[in-house]
Amino acid sequence: MAGPLLETKLHVPRRRSELVSRPRLSERLHRGLGAKLMLVSAPAGFGKTTLLAEWLAPSLESAWLSLDHNDNDPATFWTYVIAALRTVSPEIGATTLALLQEGQPAPVRLLLTPLINDLGAGTTDLVLVLDDYHVIDSAEVQEGIGFLLEHLPPRLHLAIVSRADPGLPLAGLRARGELVEVRAADLRFTADEAAAYLNGSMGLELSAEDVSALEGRTEGWIAALQLAALSMEGRADASGFIAGFAGDDRYVVDYLVEEVLKRQPGHVQDFLMQTSILDRMNGALCDALTGGDDGRATLEDLDKRNLFLVPLDDRRQWYRYHHLFADVLQARLLDEKPGRVAELHRLASAWHAANGDAAQAIRHAMAGEDFDGAADLVEVEMPAMRRDRREVTLRAWLERLPSEVIRVRPALCNALAGTRLSTGTMDGVDALLQDAQRWLDEPADGMVVVDHEQFRRLPAEVAVHRAGLALATGDVDGAVAFASRALEIAVDEDHLSRGAASALRGLAAWGSGDLETAEAAYAECLVHFEPIGHIGDFFGCSIAHADMRLTLGRLRAAADTFETALRLASRQEGAVVRGTADMHVGRASLHYELDDLAAARRELARSLELGEHTALPQNAYRYRVGLAEVAAAEGDLDAAVDLLDDAARLYVGDFSPNVHPVPAVRARAWLRQGRLADARGWATQQGLSATDDLSYLREFEHVTLARVLIEEGNLDPAADLLTRLAHAAEEGSRWGSVIEIQAVLALTHQLRGDLPAALASLESALLLAEPEGYVRTFVDEGPRMATLLEAAAEREVAPRYARRLLAAFGTTPAPAAPGLVEPLSGRELDVLRLLATDLSGPEIARELVVSLHTVRSHTKAVYAKLGVTSRRTAVSRARELGLL
Amino acid sequence: MADNYAIRVRGHLDVRWSAWFDGLTVTTHTDGTTLIEGPVADQAALFGLLQKMRDVGLPLLSVTQLS
Repeated sequence: MAGPLLETKLHVPRRRSELVSRPRLSERLHRGLGAKLMLVSAPAGFGKTTLLAEWLAPSLESAWLSLDHNDNDPATFWTYVIAALRTVSPEIGATTLALLQEGQPAPVRLLLTPLINDLGAGTTDLVLVLDDYHVIDSAEVQEGIGFLLEHLPPRLHLAIVSRADPGLPLAGLRARGELVEVRAADLRFTADEAAAYLNGSMGLELSAEDVSALEGRTEGWIAALQLAALSMEGRADASGFIAGFAGDDRYVVDYLVEEVLKRQPGHVQDFLMQTSILDRMNGALCDALTGGDDGRATLEDLDKRNLFLVPLDDRRQWYRYHHLFADVLQARLLDEKPGRVAELHRLASAWHAANGDAAQAIRHAMAGEDFDGAADLVEVEMPAMRRDRREVTLRAWLERLPSEVIRVRPALCNALAGTRLSTGTMDGVDALLQDAQRWLDEPADGMVVVDHEQFRRLPAEVAVHRAGLALATGDVDGAVAFASRALEIAVDEDHLSRGAASALRGLAAWGSGDLETAEAAYAECLVHFEPIGHIGDFFGCSIAHADMRLTLGRLRAAADTFETALRLASRQEGAVVRGTADMHVGRASLHYELDDLAAARRELARSLELGEHTALPQNAYRYRVGLAEVAAAEGDLDAAVDLLDDAARLYVGDFSPNVHPVPAVRARAWLRQGRLADARGWATQQGLSATDDLSYLREFEHVTLARVLIEEGNLDPAADLLTRLAHAAEEGSRWGSVIEIQAVLALTHQLRGDLPAALASLESALLLAEPEGYVRTFVDEGPRMATLLEAAAEREVAPRYARRLLAAFGTTPAPAAPGLVEPLSGRELDVLRLLATDLSGPEIARELVVSLHTVRSHTKAVYAKLGVTSRRTAVSRARELGLL
Repeated sequence: MADNYAIRVRGHLDVRWSAWFDGLTVTTHTDGTTLIEGPVADQAALFGLLQKMRDVGLPLLSVTQLS
């Protein structure tokens, strides 16, 4: 967080007790403990906050959060929610906090599932109050609250206090009885409550007619009744005042605030108006605005006289005005002293800057239209904002600054371009980067630089962003040029720029099939990301790096990449680092190639066990592809195809090229099932042809097409295509690809009856594969490959290795004996795996983020398909079938 | 382009509120309502204005776009 966490936001705002007890409303809130959501929705001044604070007071465990506009940044919002919850259980939300501080912003489901699990662990009722929820307009925050509500653990109750109904599916909640509401009509003081307040709490001794007249004129609006009571305190002729008020058409608040202010001495009136622009205040801050020295005393006096001041802490140091009162005061200030408003904001900005609250300082500088001052503050604050992953807030600040202010500040031009690029917006990015570049090329009068340390790094950062922009717009040469330039000019300790530039250069090379350059660039980028703690980026790049090494035919080196990443993960303190699960899935594919299926399964199980919150977005699909591979090797092709269907559905892209598309993997599985027409359908749909120009990006699909052609009996086109593919792969040093292509080419020659050519191809595959110990690439080709390997062994073509491979054909477990009549779906497999743990039904539901009902229906289906009737027998049967 | 809007609220609002409502004209009517009217930059500005009225508890009666 930029700036300290404000404890005042977590303080339950209890007003002094001149309160009227309202049993009818507390009872309704109490019913809320049987519902999911309590919604207190009414305009300002209806006593919403007071009602909640009073109701919570006695015995309930509760966490309070008063929201403000800064909470529209999801990182800020959830950090505060966890801080509020930690006032009750100090350990809660560790994993979610870790995710918030990581590289990529995590999707809502990932972010909140661990928090929801933490909350579900307790048993006592806990009320989470979100006060002033109407300030939230961020779709991301709303989505998070919607998700929380959908998966709310039974002990947790959400109370939303707002001036406007929140963007949640209220009608559905209402229909299911999951919503308890308190609205304006309920909150208005009844005649009895008005009498109890005016005559009881305030001791005004009004007649029944007077009370009724006031209640009628204010329509039970509590803030108005309070103002009226303040106007009458110590007044001899209360009835005269009430008659005057009741007979007037003026807006209630307007009339009454005027009455209250009129009764204050001049210096208090001035004090109130000048400080009305503050979101929160203490004595020193008030002094800074008024130029006086009695701020603290005045606040204490206002507090004692209950003049719409809300204390924000127990020590009575920080206060705010009641929002309604503050707005009316500000309206008067704007009318009476329009010239003073900007000046007051600037004074407030300076005070906050001097006292370490950059966010408030920036807010007031902007409100005072001191955009240069605001820009200075933003520039200084940028590194901390980036470090704390508060890009949303940073971008909001930058977007609010006028373009003429940004344009003369190279650091801000570059930062705005960067925040836009990271959210996928290209608008104006080129112009911003050109502006920045112009200043860097020719520093001239008029350029503004505040932070000279950042300025030193700027040339490299601008070059990195220009490389990113070039790559995003398909200009590969430009991307390479800018990335190389960034590497040349980056200062030594600027690991972020060097790492990002290396990654971009690697990415460009990867896309064009130059895997050796790409691999070296990614190795370089990993070296830079490690020391600066960008673990999320480190893991993302590790996956790409291992993938490149595999394509280069370097299995052992790929294993090293995963080892290094896992070693780094184990050194991190606290929760398991996101990306760890991905490393295990990566390792599974290496074990698989070496024909250690048990180890592959173990790694996949480990990934599942670690949970989704330890995985990057792509792991969900990669995991299923890995499991499908193993299932197919074990003879369960139906299960493999189901898993690949799931994988295709769960696929999410990123900026890395998608070099092993799931539909192509599935087409290969179809071929093994004998579903030739489906596989042909895929090839046609992809527009693939044996005479296509070749590019690395489609290499995997073209090899798949060759397999389709072979099964169709089109051997000559298949052989031509594979021969061309082999040349292209050799040229790019993609030895991993060459091994597979030569193996398939060998089978094609064999089918054409050309045994010498078949053996020649096989020999080149075997020579490349032997040092790294490849097995499944050959074994997965089935009986035809076995026959060919026997021929090779007889003729002394790599005989030792050929015999070792032949032995591996025998060890593949036979398809699971009686097998399943109907395979388990992906979700059913998930449930089955959790049934084998000692998690309870509700815990399984939480783990999978589904309802208990859904878990039960999956369980039933699993039992039916396995032909068992209990959890224990289901697990043992599944073990027999090799499903676990 | 800015459009002209007229927003009617219940109660008589002092003309001094004009500055708070970004300089829009504030006129009271004998039926006990107040009309706040003038140019509003765009939809975002219009919603901002309505939010301001909500925040001071003004009961909203109508919002009309003028020609």
